[in-house]
Amino acid sequence: MKLRTAVLFAGVVLMLVVWTFPVIWGLLTSLKTERDVLAYPPMVVFEPTLGNYRDVLFGATSILPNLASSAIVSVLTTALTMLFAIPAAYALSRLDLPFRKATGFYVLATQMLPPVGLVIPYFLILRKIGWTDTYQGLVLVYLTFALPFAIWLLVSYFEEIPREMEEAALLDRAGRWRALWYVILPQARGGIAVTVIFVFLNSWNEFLFAVVLGGNTVRTVTVAMFNFISLEQTQWARLAAAAMVGMAPVIALGLVAQKHIVKGLTVGAVKGGGRR
Amino acid sequence: MPRTGPRAGERRFALALCLPALLLLVVTTTVPLVYLLWTSLQRIDLSMPWLTGFAGLENYAQLGGDRRFWSSLLLTVVYTGTTVVLQVVVGLGLALLVMQVRAGQALLRVAAILPIVLAPVVAGLFWRSLVLAPDFGILDFVTRALGLGSFNWLGDPQLALVSVIAIHTWQWTPFAFLVLLASLAALPPDLYEAARLDRAGPWQRFRYITLPLIRPAIVIVVILRMVTALSAFAAIFAATGGGPGSATEILNLYAYRLSFTELSLGFGAAVATVLLVITLAVSFGLFALRRGR
Repeated sequence: MKLRTAVLFAGVVLMLVVWTFPVIWGLLTSLKTERDVLAYPPMVVFEPTLGNYRDVLFGATSILPNLASSAIVSVLTTALTMLFAIPAAYALSRLDLPFRKATGFYVLATQMLPPVGLVIPYFLILRKIGWTDTYQGLVLVYLTFALPFAIWLLVSYFEEIPREMEEAALLDRAGRWRALWYVILPQARGGIAVTVIFVFLNSWNEFLFAVVLGGNTVRTVTVAMFNFISLEQTQWARLAAAAMVGMAPVIALGLVAQKHIVKGLTVGAVKGGGRR
Repeated sequence: MPRTGPRAGERRFALALCLPALLLLVVTTTVPLVYLLWTSLQRIDLSMPWLTGFAGLENYAQLGGDRRFWSSLLLTVVYTGTTVVLQVVVGLGLALLVMQVRAGQALLRVAAILPIVLAPVVAGLFWRSLVLAPDFGILDFVTRALGLGSFNWLGDPQLALVSVIAIHTWQWTPFAFLVLLASLAALPPDLYEAARLDRAGPWQRFRYITLPLIRPAIVIVVILRMVTALSAFAAIFAATGGGPGSATEILNLYAYRLSFTELSLGFGAAVATVLLVITLAVSFGLFALRRGR
């Protein structure tokens, strides 16, 4: 029994190390000088410096504009997505919607599309209408993954609300809009918050669309990571610092929404499936 | 009470709520896909714009004899197959292990979130620079310390494939783990009591009680992981760029490189169309299978 406990303990510790290692090592690297990064054997004890963070935030290769780009794209995408997804999810989950099955199936199918299949036509379309490297262009493209995802996640939350509450409101002749606004939405507050977090997270982390359809004006933080990599040399310490700064928002959000993450990741699983 | 009145009203209301999102989806996803199909029937070489024009099925005919296409198709199958199997097997193993431990579960759940929320491009870069890089990467240090010698993880074609599979598995196994752990935790304990009284061994308990009960969760994990693996791009792009040569060039990377490095958008669109058909066929095949049970 002693041995079993030891094995279990070792297994759990190993898991912790493997999952957290790249991030913790990235954090350590971001505090090293470029020379210490390349030391062999790798240094665990070193004199920490905040120089990389200073360079990455305020130096010549500052990623502050990129953080701004990411924030603008992610916030706009999230806001638009919720505006369209909440009513649609309510209709899909609660109302007698014509062609309800087919509609749900269609939304599900759009969620499965491989992004590379969308980025090629969008590259040509946005070029034609002059929307490459613009916020409206990138947000439009981000809706392709955010909207189906949000609709399915919200449907699963709306379905949990007891029907009686809504029926009572309707019997009071409250009107459908009022029932939605005063009964459903407050009940689904938690689900809506989780959906907002996930849509924001997915938008913030997106890379393929951003690298192809962005440019010098709209250059998100995931694309800006490559500022520190060039053929001649790679500034690993600065790259690590940029990654730490760029990932801080999503790590924080992930920890906040930790309990709901399984549900968010299995979005639509009850009914069908999902992407991320 | 006439039932048509309120019902018709409800249907109208439902349509009014759903239509804007639906129209937006049609415009942002279906229209571009039709355009993708159209593009795949064109010859579009941005490096040779004077050749642009309708090409019919020429791009698809060219695919048949394209060795890089067949190798990327094979790589997609290998990459998707191994990552999904690894995630489910390792994730389930870890979940079963953790079920035995009460303390520290919360800590593990938090740790499991970390890879999932990380942008895949950052995961790829971290692995490339901190773990797999020759000379200063941690893995190189470990293999040298163990006397195994130094490996060029991302420079050798076979090791590069192993590496990108490892990166994907690292990032997404926590997902399988979390879902399966939740499903295991929801199983009724009295079932096991009964099995124990019947003198069923641990393997029998797993095989005849646990596995059938968590099968729906496993199927869900397989479907979701499959779709993610089929649309994987950023981590491989960051770690190897599809290289060395085309050693890690799955269909996504191939379509990307064709379209945006070699600027041959028509041909790239044909590759993307093949990927699209595969993804939709696989997803709906799995759903049909699931519904059939």
